[in-house]
Amino acid sequence: MSVDLSSRSFRPYTGEKARITRAYDYLILVLALFLFIGSFHLHFALTVGDWDFWVDWKDRQWWPLITPLMGITFPAAVQAVMWEKFRLPLGATLCIACLSIGTWIARIFAYHYWNYFPINMVLPSTMLPSALVLDAILMLSNSLTVTAIFGGSLFALLFYPANWPIFGMFHVPIEYGNGQMTVADLLGFEYIRTGMPEYLRIIERGTLRTYGQYATPLSAFCSALLCTLMYTLWWYIGKWFATVRYLTKI
Amino acid sequence: MKSRINKYLLALGLMLSLLTLNSQTVMAHGEKALEPFIRMRTIQWYDVQWSKQKFNVNEEISVTGKFHVAEDWPISVPKPEASFLNISTPGPVLIRTERYLNGKPFMNSVALQPGGDYDFKVVLKGRLPGHYHIHPFFNLKDAGQVMGPGIWLDIEGDAADFTNDVKIINGETINMETYGLSNGIFWHVFWGLLATAWLLWWVRRPLFIARYRMLQAGLDDELITHKDRLIAKALMVGVPLLVYASYVMTTRQYPNTIPLQASMDQILPLPAEVNAGVVNVETLKAEYSVPKRALSLTVKINNNSEKPVHIVEFSTANVGFYNKALPLPDSGNSEPVLAVEGLSLSTIEAIKPGEEKTMTITAEDAFWETEKLDGLTRDADSRVGGLLFLADDTGKRYISSISAAIIPKFN
Repeated sequence: MSVDLSSRSFRPYTGEKARITRAYDYLILVLALFLFIGSFHLHFALTVGDWDFWVDWKDRQWWPLITPLMGITFPAAVQAVMWEKFRLPLGATLCIACLSIGTWIARIFAYHYWNYFPINMVLPSTMLPSALVLDAILMLSNSLTVTAIFGGSLFALLFYPANWPIFGMFHVPIEYGNGQMTVADLLGFEYIRTGMPEYLRIIERGTLRTYGQYATPLSAFCSALLCTLMYTLWWYIGKWFATVRYLTKI
Repeated sequence: MKSRINKYLLALGLMLSLLTLNSQTVMAHGEKALEPFIRMRTIQWYDVQWSKQKFNVNEEISVTGKFHVAEDWPISVPKPEASFLNISTPGPVLIRTERYLNGKPFMNSVALQPGGDYDFKVVLKGRLPGHYHIHPFFNLKDAGQVMGPGIWLDIEGDAADFTNDVKIINGETINMETYGLSNGIFWHVFWGLLATAWLLWWVRRPLFIARYRMLQAGLDDELITHKDRLIAKALMVGVPLLVYASYVMTTRQYPNTIPLQASMDQILPLPAEVNAGVVNVETLKAEYSVPKRALSLTVKINNNSEKPVHIVEFSTANVGFYNKALPLPDSGNSEPVLAVEGLSLSTIEAIKPGEEKTMTITAEDAFWETEKLDGLTRDADSRVGGLLFLADDTGKRYISSISAAIIPKFN
């Protein structure tokens, strides 16, 4: 159940009530900021993990498949709340912005200052372009189906090209040890990770890998398909959490 | 009552604070934590040497050594089909600039052959000043880490002086410490500003309660304005166009890029150095006396060389037990755990050329306990492994692997 208001009897809050509701806005925003920085960052670290931590894990195959798939989860859930209850089309951007803040804090303080890795070796990826488009599509369509299909797909498809300007230069070849490797591979070789032997990298694996040596489009479209399903699933998770059962008067 | 509790809490706090004053930094890498049968019967390290122990930032040092991959590889440990020669460091305080296996450079993982002999060299460059405990070790896929002998290294100088310039394939020299950093920050800031603008566009107006009430009143059309829709349309079209433009720009700037390299290096073992067939050793029986902390090996030795040979050392899990009847050979800085008089023999006479002799070798020292090797009597796979070093009077060395089921003696 929810509160009973009609357009004819509706009176906007004014004076003290308006000031209190505005203060409540800021309180919720600050809490949401910390909540999403912590929880989404943790979720992302546990699911995407090394693919996002290290520059030498950002391959053509698994990185563009896994990252958007796990990255669309919280945005979908928060969008469900923000849009259905408040008509605020900012859920995805808010979540991904919080994730970016969390990852940058971790990379600078945990990876660089605490564990001495150069920051360029642990540059995070960005999903902000994908999130902006997802928010815009939800607002313009006002439809879960349209957003899941087109927004979810674009969320995945935009990921790799949006990140290539950041990481493309790490794929420049180097002749090293009688072979070729990328700058990213060399960073992984040179900057010693005791618990990260090279064979642990889950990159470029599997037999259904490329069409004419192009692996990324396959991964991106596979991710796009899965993102449409993942978006829907997490939309309903968000909706389930955002109950107004106990809200009788406002 | 309350003040008494506060006093107790204060006293407890003080005691805990004093305890922290006595705490020491952990310097080990869990090298004794792995079960003895894995440490004894997988990678058997020997002749490990460091070129220097004290050096400056930017200075290069090397660690060289040999290892034998045990024939008696434990059934519960996956075969070393993907192995990575690593260096245990507290983060990248050194960087690894070169690495060789049997004289061949290798950058990736490698398959090792049980029974194979290998030598290695790793070149390291000082990055962060400090006093560090470092080991060469093998990461074995699905099995874990098998540590080689450790050593203390001192890096001196200023971390700010560290440089790591590398030439990429087009001839340009790049600084690996900062390459791509400012570009990465630029794109994160660029998209971050756009996202912030979008968020502020909505946050500047009343949010939760006010909008919830309006939505419940059926006024949702008023919550999204014409300008909002215009901006969203601009985002929906503009963002993909920007992404595409920046992608094309990057591919033009870096037209020759390659995927991350994921190959496995293929390096064959050296000609046999251990069990080379000149002096053959067969382990007949192995007993471990728990109270004496002594391993007794009954071995049959067949000397096919042209000179008499004597037993010099029994080495297992980086602990060297040296024949007490012989002068201690110079092992440089290779093995920090030396039981200098830990090896006694049932007969001190050398094994003559062509002779076959059965004898008992006893490796006795507290190291069995302090190095946590005595647990081999409680393992599911209670077998002992190691290397037996023999030599003739000219110093020519013969190495044989030792392998046998262990019989415990509890009294």
